[in-house]
Amino acid sequence: MISSLPRETIISIVLFAVVWQIMSYLAPSLGIPAFAIPGLGRIAESLTKITPLDVAVTLGRVLLSLVVSFVIGLLVAVLMYLSGSVEKYLRPMVRILMAVPVVSWILFAVLWFKGVEFRIVFVLVVVCAPVFTVDALDNMREVSRDLKQMIRSFRPTPLQFFHKLMLPAITPGIITSWKITLSLAIRVVTIAELVGAVTGIGHQLSVAQELFSVADVFAWTLVLVILLFLLEALLVQLETRVLRWRA
Amino acid sequence: MSGLSAPIEISGLSKVFRQTTSGQSIVAIDQLTLRIDPGELVAIVGKTGCGKSTLFDLLIGLEHPTAGSITIGTKTPYDDFNAFRGKIATIFQQDRLFPWRSALDNVKLPLELIGIAEDVQQERAMSWLKRLGLEKFANAYPRELSGGMRQRVAIARAFAVQPEILLADESFSALDEVTANELRKTFVELAREFKSTAILITHQLEEAMAVGDRIVVFGKSATLLADIRMMDWDRADYPLLREGIQNTLQANAPDPRLRR
Repeated sequence: MISSLPRETIISIVLFAVVWQIMSYLAPSLGIPAFAIPGLGRIAESLTKITPLDVAVTLGRVLLSLVVSFVIGLLVAVLMYLSGSVEKYLRPMVRILMAVPVVSWILFAVLWFKGVEFRIVFVLVVVCAPVFTVDALDNMREVSRDLKQMIRSFRPTPLQFFHKLMLPAITPGIITSWKITLSLAIRVVTIAELVGAVTGIGHQLSVAQELFSVADVFAWTLVLVILLFLLEALLVQLETRVLRWRA
Repeated sequence: MSGLSAPIEISGLSKVFRQTTSGQSIVAIDQLTLRIDPGELVAIVGKTGCGKSTLFDLLIGLEHPTAGSITIGTKTPYDDFNAFRGKIATIFQQDRLFPWRSALDNVKLPLELIGIAEDVQQERAMSWLKRLGLEKFANAYPRELSGGMRQRVAIARAFAVQPEILLADESFSALDEVTANELRKTFVELAREFKSTAILITHQLEEAMAVGDRIVVFGKSATLLADIRMMDWDRADYPLLREGIQNTLQANAPDPRLRR
């Protein structure tokens, strides 16, 4: 995977590591506590202590929530597309949901629900589903009028209309939506896990903060970033495969 | 295929559009009455904006008339929309192929919609591509095909359902002359072979004369200016006929030479 990275990317990562290491050496002489900027060796040590179970739990929460968000978001978008009145009522609600800060949702979740898992999924869904709705609706609106007229001339059932035309036509937009929400979900899940969760990367970050271990925070953050890049790479592969007709 | 058993009866048909911005009414079709018999190959010719495409949308069933009716047997294509599933097929000016489907899968589309078995779909779609000389391009995506090839796929898609009524709207006017002539010939041959009632809408007089057994000339708001059966004219008289239709179109009034 590293060999496929552009030279400039590798250089910039190496440069960052070198600057970090130099700062780590210089920190005490600058009056900064040594633990605040741990050396690369200390971070590597923390990386060896990463617990795969926490990574798997966070990944599971993200994927489950994204699937649920996608299904809800798409269904709402279809309803809004089919009915102008439904759209008039739902659009302001979707806009309001999108405007509420993530922290507020986390507080609401803590106040409203007892189950930790439900709280996390709730926060992720309430943040990601509106993104899927808005994107899917916009994409459905942009489907060529000519193609709609063509398929309608063959008299499809409403289900066939969506299955044969709308879904394939909005697939490129849906994949873009997944890329956006994936990055959003990874960031949101970490914050959601900070509150009350006893597993997951967010929880481990919270533990590292309590222990004043910057090396652990760095290591877990690195894992999150790598996880996001891996998931994005998988999405890109899927995109290449599904959208090969565009080539 | 048996072909259409009942004529297409257009009676006192009017379609008025109201402009949303100005609130003005536009009369696209004004009291049109026309009968098209089963198996006829009719070319409707008229200037741009004369209401031809509105008639096309009404015949497909995507629009409702403001007044009057179109009946085929006892049914109308707009009120009894689903009754015509698999019976009406269309060929548009642009090929309107799904870019995410291969040529073969595009031809299969209407067969999927009418619920034909998968193996029959495959066989029938492939035989249509063969018939139109595209068997080597069955797996090609539309972007990999030329304009003429894409329009051939669109023709194959329309005929694949073995429609009783075939509607073509300016279907060959976006192509180069050689390809357009070739496809017009194919269109006529297939419509005759399958006894489809075919209606070609065009603004090109040459095209109407090349395709139609009958030429219907529309004036403004689809006013019927002339209804000519080609069999009433000898080939030697065609220049006179062409001139007569041209004069009719230009003056928006019937040319007396067209009366037979």
